Amino acid sequence: MQDAVLMSPVAFAHALRKPVSGEVNGMETALSFDAADVEASRSKTLSICDVSNLNRFGVKGPQAANWLQTAGIKLPETTNSWTPQDNGSLVMRLGNTEFLLEDRPENDLARMLNDTAVNEVGVHKVMRNDAAFIVSGELTPALFSEVCAIDLDGATLAENRLVMTVIAGVSATLLKQTLNGQSVYRIWCDGTFGPYLWKTLLSIIEEQGGGPVGFNFYYSLT
Amino acid sequence: MTSRIAKKRGEWINRDKPLTFEYEGQQVQGYEGDTISSALWANGIRVLGRSFKYHRARGLLSFANHDVNALMTDGEDTNIRADVWPVSHDMKLKAVNTDGGVIKDKNKYIDYLSPFLPVGFYYKTFYKPKRMFPFWEDKIRKAAGLGEVNFNYPRHVRPKRHAHCDVLVVGAGAAGLSAALTAAAEGLSVILVDENRQAGGSLSYDYAGDQTSADTLNTLLSEVEANSNIRLITDAYAGGYYTDHLVPIVEKSGITKVRAQSVIVATGVFEQPPVFRYNDLPGVMLGSAAQRLVHRYAVKPFEKGVVVTANDHGYRTALDLASVGVEVVAVIDMRISGAGQELTQKVKDSGISVHKGSCIYEAVPTGDKLGVKEVVVCPYNENTAEADTSRSVRLSCDGVAMSAGWAPAAALLYQAGTKMGYDYDVEQFVPAQLPEGVFAAGKVNGVFDLKSRQQDGRRAATEAANYLGKVVQLESFKAASVNRPSHPYPIVNHPKGKNFVDFDEDIQVKDFINAAKEGFDNIELMKRFTTVGMGPSQGKHSNMNAIRILARIRQLPVEKIGTTTARPFFHPTPIGHLGGRGFHPHRYTAMHQWHVDHGGEMMEAGVWMRPAYYAPAGSGLTASEAVQQETLAVRESVGMIDGSTLGKIEVFGSDAGAFLERFYTGKFADQKVGGSRIAMLLDEAGVVSDDGVAVRMAEDQFYVSTNSSNAATVYREMQRYVQLWKMQVTLVNLTGAMAAMTVAGPKSRDVVAALTEIDVSEAAMGKGAFRTGKVAGVDARVMRVSFVADLAFEIHVPYRAGLHVWKALMEAGKSSGIRPFGTDAQRLLRLEMGHHLVSHDTDGLTNPFEAHSESLVAMDKPFFIGQRSLKILEKKPLNKKLTTFVLDPGFNGEMPNECNLVIDSASRIAGRVTSISYSGYLDRHIGFAFVPPEQSHDGARFQIRTDSGAMVSATACNAPFFHLLESRGE
Repeated sequence: MQDAVLMSPVAFAHALRKPVSGEVNGMETALSFDAADVEASRSKTLSICDVSNLNRFGVKGPQAANWLQTAGIKLPETTNSWTPQDNGSLVMRLGNTEFLLEDRPENDLARMLNDTAVNEVGVHKVMRNDAAFIVSGELTPALFSEVCAIDLDGATLAENRLVMTVIAGVSATLLKQTLNGQSVYRIWCDGTFGPYLWKTLLSIIEEQGGGPVGFNFYYSLT
Repeated sequence: MTSRIAKKRGEWINRDKPLTFEYEGQQVQGYEGDTISSALWANGIRVLGRSFKYHRARGLLSFANHDVNALMTDGEDTNIRADVWPVSHDMKLKAVNTDGGVIKDKNKYIDYLSPFLPVGFYYKTFYKPKRMFPFWEDKIRKAAGLGEVNFNYPRHVRPKRHAHCDVLVVGAGAAGLSAALTAAAEGLSVILVDENRQAGGSLSYDYAGDQTSADTLNTLLSEVEANSNIRLITDAYAGGYYTDHLVPIVEKSGITKVRAQSVIVATGVFEQPPVFRYNDLPGVMLGSAAQRLVHRYAVKPFEKGVVVTANDHGYRTALDLASVGVEVVAVIDMRISGAGQELTQKVKDSGISVHKGSCIYEAVPTGDKLGVKEVVVCPYNENTAEADTSRSVRLSCDGVAMSAGWAPAAALLYQAGTKMGYDYDVEQFVPAQLPEGVFAAGKVNGVFDLKSRQQDGRRAATEAANYLGKVVQLESFKAASVNRPSHPYPIVNHPKGKNFVDFDEDIQVKDFINAAKEGFDNIELMKRFTTVGMGPSQGKHSNMNAIRILARIRQLPVEKIGTTTARPFFHPTPIGHLGGRGFHPHRYTAMHQWHVDHGGEMMEAGVWMRPAYYAPAGSGLTASEAVQQETLAVRESVGMIDGSTLGKIEVFGSDAGAFLERFYTGKFADQKVGGSRIAMLLDEAGVVSDDGVAVRMAEDQFYVSTNSSNAATVYREMQRYVQLWKMQVTLVNLTGAMAAMTVAGPKSRDVVAALTEIDVSEAAMGKGAFRTGKVAGVDARVMRVSFVADLAFEIHVPYRAGLHVWKALMEAGKSSGIRPFGTDAQRLLRLEMGHHLVSHDTDGLTNPFEAHSESLVAMDKPFFIGQRSLKILEKKPLNKKLTTFVLDPGFNGEMPNECNLVIDSASRIAGRVTSISYSGYLDRHIGFAFVPPEQSHDGARFQIRTDSGAMVSATACNAPFFHLLESRGE
């Protein structure tokens, strides 16, 4: 098999665990690390999943909001908040003039926007290389109490809020959403820190009885 | 012999679970729930340690971890606090600070030398003759410290957690429990923390022979347990107070950093010992220690003892002792006034005689000096602190319980900035002015009556709730008056000394007097001269008495002496706890695993992991050989380095060119699209802080690189200046989003050309040219650079495709013998090219004129960062100049190292080497050095002093160094 052209920034950190791999969005991806029931159990206790392969589109500039709205994108009204699109894609407002859009695997919105030429003054595409994780389980507060200084029990992550914080020493974006009926935390960080953050979070997760789950756990691909 | 008594209500031990452990080679039995000290004491073992200085035998003192009489080693763990550390099966304990065991300690002879070893003696003794100091230093160092450092100690990860609450209540005694319940009732989230294994404070041991107050405790604990707003953490101490109510809570498992909206300090008080001769003998302990032994662990402190007291608490202790069958010979009350009538009568009704206005003049040791044989009791003059020895009485006993007063456990309050005042009604420092959001309750607040403490706790919580925006009616109350809980001067003078004030450091009353005589009569000076309060107990049992003694010496009121502030952490905290798990983020390039798989010797380069060189398994290459081979490949064929760590910033907007013009030293406004220019950044002082390359991708778009270690700094500075200058510029940091690799060497063009449709010919893509297009099917930015070789291509692609492109280039270069090269080879290659590295060859003072970078500075521009400083500097003569140099051909002496000094003819320091390396390609040693300007011209000779002191001749030499090959005819 020809190697995938794209690699998750976390790919080599997965390798030792010998996941079942496959290509998603052209990127080699850990589809599962263990049997489905084991991963299901982990996800209830404490788990981490690498979803770096999801397509993303970043845009920045004083006219970025107008440009996105013209393209039919629903935008969060305030900074540090997010809103879902009708198709399930997430749009995060990272600053007054900066946005990040992330597709679900079955969506194509981010790819289309990436392929769209931007000629407007004051609109600038931002190349993304996020390491992106889903963290779930009832012990998530215990995990975050160790790696993050902010109070996640309070209103910080109330509905559709996101925070830019430091997780285990790495700048990251964090939000809480419901995915497949399960309340999960989403983390994005600079991909070059991805392997470190994956290994660090996973070591604590495993100390607490959890473990990794593969991409298929959340986004079952047929 | 056992001192364990029948099962008691509320005891903390589980008699169904016996445990066996070893102490000093002796098998000892205890129960689950016992501390080491309680189990040893229950087994009749009285010597738990040796004192730090005089190696005197020591038993229990506070039995609360407020002193360090009982420190143990258990295999890998040392300085275990035996007073509070739970016993477990198979412990093998030894007391620390002994030579030959705690009983037969060979160093106990030092006690006999104590008259010759007063405090401060070593300051004055060992500094001369000077030649002897190393000898004494060795002895002093060996004598210092308590437990032994175990260099094989395994790393135990102790997590550091974060927690948040509305109200943090420190201390779960009567006041703290009441405060927590009141705050929680207002809907506030509460964290309640206590240093003891179980909450309750003195409610769990101070009964005066009547355990009805235990009912109060049970009620409070039940309510706390049932309240979901309260999180109770026991067996943990609040180690310090930091700004904005950040309080680290230290548990055995690690530290929790609690960020509270408000803090209620209900930490109580530390009991203080009266000071009399031999008050440190095993068997002499604080009254509260005796009570804790009795009620928590069901252990008799002694069989037949006396209680010496200077407050009413001694009477309560006597009643508790009598209630479990201890024969209390007498209560010796240092006060002429004695206790209240009711309490006195209760004691007398228990068959205990009371001696008012009396003191223990001295405790008499047993023959082996390991215990108490009897006490000498004398009439006591409270005004003079003198005993009337003419009317002494000897009382036979095997133990003494002491109660003289209390010191507030106020470290958190001091650290929070509380102004403390001295309250003569209770003879104690109490909070006079609390900082915002900090409240005090209970004994630390000078409130001692039980009911009043509960009211005070509720009052503090109500104030905290109101501070947090609630509107709650304050419950008015007046604390019930109590007989003065602390004695103003519980000291008994003795001509022979050994009346100890500080048990950590064996400091006696006379030491304070001597210190004052020598002029150290300020509390801060006295602390440092006598070392009082500087031991592991941090003055918990000694500082208050020290203050009282100093006040008496100086004839000043106590409040005029003042107090010292214990810094956080005020209780010794293991280094492992402070270190925590240790988060050390690393950045990895897309090609990381490839480097590892191909023998890359990975090293930390700032936060990045980079290969220094490649020595594949089985190659047998040394580091030096690998570097020379990699260098040679670039010079003669082709090599490739992973340059993903370069900072990469996009600058967009109509003001992009103007912005760079102001930000960097060069000119960019007129730069052509598709071209690149070196971008040098200065700070306001004109110091070179970064250099990179700025590519113009479009009229309103630049792509700028920075040094690997400076990406974040430069990006931050750019953001700052965009704001300051109010320019139409948008910045995007692509450092982590783009992978980069440099293909270098005479065959590099062939390799790149094989994978791209971009015309990379010399005609189409000369030095400094920039093109975009596909490389190996991936969108790429390609630049002609010449940092490591005349012909080199820097290829930038999206990070996620980095490995794919890297592999494709390696494959394409296979027929040309392509080699990956690491950072070591890169440094040598750029040296051969004569390129200095900012922050390596330059330092925090180097300006462009010194780094011969004048050509990169456009002084004729209206403005750029650092320009004003350069205008001043250019009028001044240079002191140094960075120059390239070469050692003599065939040099085979001691090679100079970086930072070796350049020495002038008068043997003065004239400069230093900043880089040096042997180039196998040139067969010469080449480098950079700062030298005086007059020695920087081509051919100038200067001397370098090596590590061993040898002088090596060097010659300033124009770079690049390739002309040296011509001189060899190559």
